[in-house]
Amino acid sequence: MSLTRRTFVLTSAAGIISVTAPWRMWRLVRLSDHPAPRRGITGAKVMTAAQLAKHPKLVSLFDSVRKLPHIMDGIRCNCGCGNPPSMYSLLSCYEVASPMALDCAVCQGQARLAARLHAEGSSLDQIRKAVDAKFG
Amino acid sequence: MQHKVFCAMLLSAVLAPVPGAAQIRASELGGVSQTIDGTRISIQYSRPQSRGRDTLFGRGDRKWGHTWTPGANWATTFETSKAVTLNQRAVPKGKYSVWMQLNSATSWTMILDPEPRVYHMDPPDSNAKQIRFPVTVQAGAFTDVLTWSMPTLRIDGGTLQFAWERARVDVQLEVEPSLTMTFPAAEAAAYVGVYNYVAFVAGKPMLPLRFTITHEDNTLKGQYFPDDPYLKKFALIRIAPDWFAPGVYDKSGRIYEVMRPEETWEFTQSNGRVTTFLVRSDSDVIIGKATRKP
Repeated sequence: MSLTRRTFVLTSAAGIISVTAPWRMWRLVRLSDHPAPRRGITGAKVMTAAQLAKHPKLVSLFDSVRKLPHIMDGIRCNCGCGNPPSMYSLLSCYEVASPMALDCAVCQGQARLAARLHAEGSSLDQIRKAVDAKFG
Repeated sequence: MQHKVFCAMLLSAVLAPVPGAAQIRASELGGVSQTIDGTRISIQYSRPQSRGRDTLFGRGDRKWGHTWTPGANWATTFETSKAVTLNQRAVPKGKYSVWMQLNSATSWTMILDPEPRVYHMDPPDSNAKQIRFPVTVQAGAFTDVLTWSMPTLRIDGGTLQFAWERARVDVQLEVEPSLTMTFPAAEAAAYVGVYNYVAFVAGKPMLPLRFTITHEDNTLKGQYFPDDPYLKKFALIRIAPDWFAPGVYDKSGRIYEVMRPEETWEFTQSNGRVTTFLVRSDSDVIIGKATRKP
């Protein structure tokens, strides 16, 4: 297959867009107050007790996050640890791919607060306001 | 054939080694950045040196009456992530080139121009979009390398300082506060009183303490008895309805630290009056409980 100038230019442009698109998406998310929980989101990627063998004290916290993906995915993480493109929400901080919450007091505190307020009957919006008041 | 040549040229342009970034400049790039209560401020500038010259102002491109960028090469830039004030002049969020109109040895006009990328030889003409304000030039010790710094900081601002040769200019910077330190007297009555406070360490209750909440200087204040040596009498700063964070005072009576999210004080009211409160750590663990004394 011969490579025409047009094909080359279009392929290059597509490549550049595909590399930068996730970052652009993340910027859009950050511009709004809190992320919208993704449709059908589950806690399946949250680290399990077996994966937390070296962090036994965190098992119950990770378990509580796994049970509330629709809440945790609607909360912005305020830890400022760099916000890489893979981090969509507080839920991302607990997932196997980027478990920032293993070492981050803010990630842990936000989820503990969110889980408690949810248990007390607070709505997602009320939880977001409380998280912002304390960690924002 | 043509497209192969094109592709080869394009690839060689992309893959060719970039010339080394190392360059020796007479005025090396420098910068100062500072975050104050969530507002990020940065100044980027090239740093000319005196190179043995004793007098730098009032001659050359720094003659009295000239407009000069306080730096070299590309104009010095001032960037702020939120609105601030400089010497009480409002400066909206953005990036600006910085200029000084050198009126005399003691009086300059600082100019922020909304176009940040300007070469030093092209000072912008005066225009309505610029922010201009007078600054006082003080005489100080000789500074060899032009320097911008922030030598003093407060929770709501600080001093932005320019120094070169013997000229020193201090600009007062203030940020938009994220919290309101004061508390209305009408609302304070619900909180003021004496409480029986129990601290929890590793989940175990300590001996009860007396804790008072007062309303002084338009601020809600708390104090343990016996005194907490770090907090002493501290401000209770509202962060949400019935949620507060402690603000710690320095010796001059200014708040220098707000312990958020380290401590959140959660009050519960009944019939318009606080009856109990909890203190929670950043991990949402209860580290204190209090009930109002009758």
